[in-house]
Amino acid sequence: MSNKKIYLTIITGTVILIIASMLSITYGAKSVGFADVIDAVLGRNIENYNVNVVQARIPRTVFGILAGAALSVSGVLMQTITRNPIADPSILGVNTGASLFIVIGISVFNIQSKLSYISLAFLGAMLTAILVYKLASMGYGGATPIKLALSGAAISTALSSLVSVFVMPDSSVMTSFRFWQIGSVGGASNEDILLILPVVIISLIVSVFISSDLNTLLLSEETATALGLNVNRTRLIAAVCGVLLCSSITALAGPISFIGLMIPHLIRLLVGSEQKKLILISALYGGSILVISDVLGRLLGRPGELESGIMTALIGAPCFIAIIRRAKVANI
Amino acid sequence: MSENILRAEQIHAGYSDKEILHGVDITIPQNKISVILGSNGSGKSTMLKTFCRLLCPAEGQVTLDGKNISSINSKTLAKTIGLLPQNSIAPEGIKVADLVARGRFPYRKFMTPLSKHDYEAISEAMCFMGINDLADASIDELSGGQRQRVFIALSLAQQTDILFLDEPTTFLDIAYQVEILDLLKELNQKRGTTIVMVLHDINLSSRYADYIFAMKKGKLICQGTPAEIITSENIKEIYGLDSIVIEDPISCSPFIIPDSRCY
Repeated sequence: MSNKKIYLTIITGTVILIIASMLSITYGAKSVGFADVIDAVLGRNIENYNVNVVQARIPRTVFGILAGAALSVSGVLMQTITRNPIADPSILGVNTGASLFIVIGISVFNIQSKLSYISLAFLGAMLTAILVYKLASMGYGGATPIKLALSGAAISTALSSLVSVFVMPDSSVMTSFRFWQIGSVGGASNEDILLILPVVIISLIVSVFISSDLNTLLLSEETATALGLNVNRTRLIAAVCGVLLCSSITALAGPISFIGLMIPHLIRLLVGSEQKKLILISALYGGSILVISDVLGRLLGRPGELESGIMTALIGAPCFIAIIRRAKVANI
Repeated sequence: MSENILRAEQIHAGYSDKEILHGVDITIPQNKISVILGSNGSGKSTMLKTFCRLLCPAEGQVTLDGKNISSINSKTLAKTIGLLPQNSIAPEGIKVADLVARGRFPYRKFMTPLSKHDYEAISEAMCFMGINDLADASIDELSGGQRQRVFIALSLAQQTDILFLDEPTTFLDIAYQVEILDLLKELNQKRGTTIVMVLHDINLSSRYADYIFAMKKGKLICQGTPAEIITSENIKEIYGLDSIVIEDPISCSPFIIPDSRCY
């Protein structure tokens, strides 16, 4: 992959991100003028209604970028450690684990605060990932990619039936859960963002730091070991980062599908599988795509809005089919 | 160059509850080509994995210059012992030069680009394997023989004094088999690289090996030069196969012709 093409990809991605952010704070159920946007960003004229609308859209834009980036990188990590091109953050049962803990929180402990959502999602996602890993480690050959994917799918199915056990009997639980489940970036406040920001930033940095190890991991377990890589430790670090990235976003926005699956694929087609580039550029494009999905959801759903989780699925599914039809996703 | 005496001592190893190696002692001859022979399930691949630390022995130890390899830092060890596994995997669409560069992993410092020395090692390895022209090609476009040359180049870029290869010729046709083995022979002769291979083909082993280890049912049953090992009696013992041994007219090494019930 030539450097020129990489730079072009990065520049294009940055431009798209800036445009997407502008659109996100300008358009919505109520569109506002450019002057109002400027005022809001600079904190001027705050009694103006339009300016307030804009200011309300800033956190959701920031959260959209953050969520898209985190989910995409989480997807890259999951695909690399499971060596499975159709892996995404849900493959290790992470989303379902988070869902289960949140639904237990809603129905048994009647949780309200974002902090408790986040903590429960972390806890559920982590415990599920550990459980999946332990199950996959049993028997011959340890936690091989295929066994990871299988045990992830099995535990995911089991946990989602448990989710139903808690949700079905109680309509009020059903209602709270449903809003969370659909997946929306709209509900995030500045305080919420600050809660997850450190986790997301640290996980992203660690992911970039281990990118050289991930490159080696992609060769084969045997080659990687022969090259002096501690395979299990690398997988563990990558998995923890992936789980943290995904569950922190899931806690606030519900499971947002397809971003983690689609973006890494798309970027791999553009820049290849070198992990550092893949992680950074996936983060860039993931943020843009989620923000664009959110804007489209707001425009198409007027006067209300379509949740971004629905939009990513609507955009993602055809894209994904196109990618698969076009080519080369047989392996990473 | 340090001594690099690699020795397996009383190795018992296997997978979970099933022991495959039952007390094997092997000292790898330095600067020679050694081949481990044996029937399917004799434990030869397991032995190779134990040497390369892919498998931890239940009992016994593998030592490098008297030091247990499990106590050596893994990147340090990776500068001395290289491995070409049976199935090499490459990320899809990766360029040949980028793939060979992955062999420099044990030498790379945290978050720094490839050094001048790295580039030299990569280009030397590619030159040796004759794949310079393919540097910008995608790995997916290559034939089986070319792919295998690329993966060997990756191991060469690792610059190890000892190189293990697990059935490096298995999926190749006869022309590529000879080509790969010739390259390995040259590597051994020009650089003194110690080469240890698992091979299925007795006659090619006999031709290219300086030393042969024969395994059966998890034990080492005989070792020596091809002339000593490749005899009708030993082949009967190792594989349970009747055969006659003639001289390979090209290399003058022993050449076996298997007997058959149909003729």
